[in-house]
Amino acid sequence: MTRWKPVLVWLLGVWMVVVCWAAFFYAPTAQGFKGESARIVFFHVPQAWVAVVAFCVNLVASIRYLRGRDPVDDIRAAAAAALGLLFSVLATISGSIFAKIMWGSFWNWDPREVSIAILLLVYAAYFALRQAVPDEERRGTLSAAYAVLAFVTMPFLVFVVPRIYWSLHPDTLINTSGRIDMESRMLQVLLGSVAGFTGLFAWLYSLSVRLARADLRRRQQEGG
Amino acid sequence: MLAEALAVLAKELRSELRSRVALNAILLFALTTLVAVAYQIGPYRIHEEDRPHLLAALLWIILFFAATSGLARVFVKEEDAHTAKTLRLAARAGAVFAGKFAFNVVLLGTLEIVVVPLFCVLLGYRVAGPSNLVLLLAAGTVALAAVATMVAAIISRASGSGTLFAVLTVPLALPLLVMLIQGTRAAAGSAELAAVLPALRGIVSLAGVTLVSSVFLFPVVWHD
Repeated sequence: MTRWKPVLVWLLGVWMVVVCWAAFFYAPTAQGFKGESARIVFFHVPQAWVAVVAFCVNLVASIRYLRGRDPVDDIRAAAAAALGLLFSVLATISGSIFAKIMWGSFWNWDPREVSIAILLLVYAAYFALRQAVPDEERRGTLSAAYAVLAFVTMPFLVFVVPRIYWSLHPDTLINTSGRIDMESRMLQVLLGSVAGFTGLFAWLYSLSVRLARADLRRRQQEGG
Repeated sequence: MLAEALAVLAKELRSELRSRVALNAILLFALTTLVAVAYQIGPYRIHEEDRPHLLAALLWIILFFAATSGLARVFVKEEDAHTAKTLRLAARAGAVFAGKFAFNVVLLGTLEIVVVPLFCVLLGYRVAGPSNLVLLLAAGTVALAAVATMVAAIISRASGSGTLFAVLTVPLALPLLVMLIQGTRAAAGSAELAAVLPALRGIVSLAGVTLVSSVFLFPVVWHD
């Protein structure tokens, strides 16, 4: 696997270039949107998807840490949360650009905008907690407990609040009737982009974990 | 287990009746904020059509921030007074959580009994469905106490717990607050139970998942 890693990273780079090209030149212009604004969906949706994937990875690593108290699981949880925070910020920025073009304002207090803002706050609170606990083992336990607690409220943010209250946001990819209402070429590009962004997350995540593990080994060696 | 939980609740109530620190903090915070808001807005400054929504938001902002000033004390005081170790030996983790949670429910209930009627009188808030508002207040109290008790347990083990409590609670409680404000607005406008049912369902579900996850998480945090 280690031998194939550079090849996979190069393939990922090529894949992302193709996705960017396809987003602007292969996918047709969407109907019902101002100008070419709908093309942002090929970047905004995968970023939001990765933010949620990172939250799930953070949850799994946190549960593993609470069960086994392996410091590497804490490293994995923190790395996933850091990337989740990054992709949440990117999804918020790309969503705001779309909002400005479509609705005339970067921020409209739409339920979906509020839900991504709260997700950002959850990630920020997770890191505030980590910084407030100097002891490594206790830090791992408390932040893992908070991550699990935050995860159980996430369905209310992402699914319940936007569905109870009226929203400006366009229908999600799979709408309430359970159908995918998207032109075939657009759907191909979107799925390709989701795959690319997921690969990008996997690569960045493995790099972060490797760096943090090396730092942990160095500190353990220095501590004797 | 029930006897232990009731013993913890009785201890908390006795201790609070002696010192009245938490009760004084939340009541004074709420009353000061209420007087400031009522003095500036009064019963006539907001247009009739905006009243249900704006006053519902103001009510829950007062209740929530007053609650954050006192709810963390249940665990922080045990760490400050170095009595946490004794409590660990005296009662099982589940009983400690249940007792502290019940105490926070009592504290929040007391706050609401004092503040909500005063708020309605001072700001001229007419509620078409008072029984629906009572239902919302009851469900909101349970949900908020569940989130606050678990976060209090987490922050009591970290440094800088006073400020950290608000930082960690706000993102977890925001979806709850959004649902409570929408539900209160609906209760103010209609006496029908159906009007508040979507919000009520969300609040009860959030309270349920928080309590269930706390049952599993609390022993890990408490015995760390």
